Amino acid sequence: MSLLGADFRRDLEIRRYPILIYVFVPLTALVLQAWLPRILGNFDWFDLPFVITVYFALGRRSPIQGTLMGAVLGIFEDALSHHAIGVNGIAKTVVGFLAASVGVRIDVENHIIRLVLNFLLSLLSSAICIFIYRVLLGLDFAWQWQTELFLAIGNSVIAAVLFPLLNRLQVRE
Amino acid sequence: MDSFFVRYRNIVVLLVILLAQIIGLATQVRRTDSGHNALNPRDDRGVLLIRLWANALVSPPEELIHATRMGIAGLWQNYVDLRQVRAQNQQLQQTISRLRLEQAELLEDARQGQRLQALLGFQEKYIYKTLAAQVFGSSGSEQSRVFYIDKGSADGLRRDMPVITADGIVGKVRDVFPRTAQVLAINDQTSGAGVILATTRIRGILRGDAAGQLEVVDITADERIKPGEPVLTAGGDMVFPRGLPVGVVEKVVPDPEQDSFVDVIVKPAAHLNRLDEVLVITSTEPRFPPQGQRDLDTSQALDGAQAAAIAEQQKAAQITAERLPNLVEPNVPPDQQPLNDTSPPNPMAQPPQPLHPDQFSPSSVTDQGSDQPAPAGSATPRAQSPGQTKQSPAVPTQPSPQRSPRRNP
Repeated sequence: MSLLGADFRRDLEIRRYPILIYVFVPLTALVLQAWLPRILGNFDWFDLPFVITVYFALGRRSPIQGTLMGAVLGIFEDALSHHAIGVNGIAKTVVGFLAASVGVRIDVENHIIRLVLNFLLSLLSSAICIFIYRVLLGLDFAWQWQTELFLAIGNSVIAAVLFPLLNRLQVRE
Repeated sequence: MDSFFVRYRNIVVLLVILLAQIIGLATQVRRTDSGHNALNPRDDRGVLLIRLWANALVSPPEELIHATRMGIAGLWQNYVDLRQVRAQNQQLQQTISRLRLEQAELLEDARQGQRLQALLGFQEKYIYKTLAAQVFGSSGSEQSRVFYIDKGSADGLRRDMPVITADGIVGKVRDVFPRTAQVLAINDQTSGAGVILATTRIRGILRGDAAGQLEVVDITADERIKPGEPVLTAGGDMVFPRGLPVGVVEKVVPDPEQDSFVDVIVKPAAHLNRLDEVLVITSTEPRFPPQGQRDLDTSQALDGAQAAAIAEQQKAAQITAERLPNLVEPNVPPDQQPLNDTSPPNPMAQPPQPLHPDQFSPSSVTDQGSDQPAPAGSATPRAQSPGQTKQSPAVPTQPSPQRSPRRNP
């Protein structure tokens, strides 16, 4: 019954977007993520591909689509760096899956829930990356918890601002 | 089996994707000889295709954004520069305007300084005491040619004091206020000044006409009056001291009211329409410059010495008169005083008759049988008789001193 209820609610609240949005918005996120740090310097406490992954995962309420979106954005993000390809891919794959899974069960239209969800998922993403680097791959990876905390806060703030803007792009039936 | 994948497809997809990525990670990390894991940045197998794709996908938009940003930044910078240039241009224009004003002020100050310097030089040399004043206003009417100066009764000005410049007379003080005074210009119709033509010495009355021209009126027609003749103050009007320049004769026109009279139009020496600084003669007591005053003192001192010398001479004469025989006899009546004797002081006395008259005796020079004396030319030896010549050795004559050495060698 709960599953039926969940499926029913998912079908009702699922968001649909033009096909180009699925290409343009992630690409823009990747480009801005690669370009903005050159301007902001040391204040690049945000991860736009992460925010886009969470948004589409919550909006589409599909774990598979969230997983694929996170995997693609993460892999491309890794590909633009000099690090091993797949670290961010794995992290955002998990994030996309969890966001979509959570979005099926709770009301994500609430701004506070969005903030908290982005904050927690960002911390989880950072934890997965650190885990992969230091445990799975056994690489020397220096990190600071303050940086990860600021990154989580930045992602939450950006999500709070960006989600309403992206909602305008959805298809109204 | 199908239902399992359908039911758990989300988890299955997740696991598959994670597994694929983990395997991909495992292919990128290698264990070194020292037992540490590391990426192989110096892998000479080329660039991973995924990196190439990512770069090909992200770099063009990034370059576009960067170029757009640089373009916008350039436009903004140009705009800001343009605004700055515009503002700077406005500022420079204001600076130029201010400098022009300052230059004009400095030029005016320099001109005023030159005028004041000339006025001061004239004031120092002028024999009468003057007070410099600044002209600051006028009546504003052509019918009333008066102007106002910034000196008044508090500065010692009084009515009818003459106002002049270094070039010539200007007018006279009319109304005196505590701090200002009204000056009636000489070219006003109600003004008047006694003047004299410098060359012909013709006197007249100077006044202004309706057009503000100076004219000397009531002058008998005289052909000697020529344009260019200087006109000076005559000094008889009790206002202007004599000898101040008034102007020069510009032309002579017949008096329309009187046939035998002419009006002499005078070009004023002072610029009556462009007066800035004037001098008010506050005292007609002669005031000499320092050198002149020293010369005057020296002259006065010399006069005193001369008087003293005269007194000394008189005193000496008196003393001499006292010591010499007195010409005034105290016991003789005044009409019989020797000083009052008009008779010749040395009446001709009859010479004594010579004991042995000769040709040189007074009586011998008279003609025989006549008392009139003979003329001097006739008393020559050739006129003498031989008998008289014989008598001369008998008369001993006083030998001359020049002959004595020869007589007494």
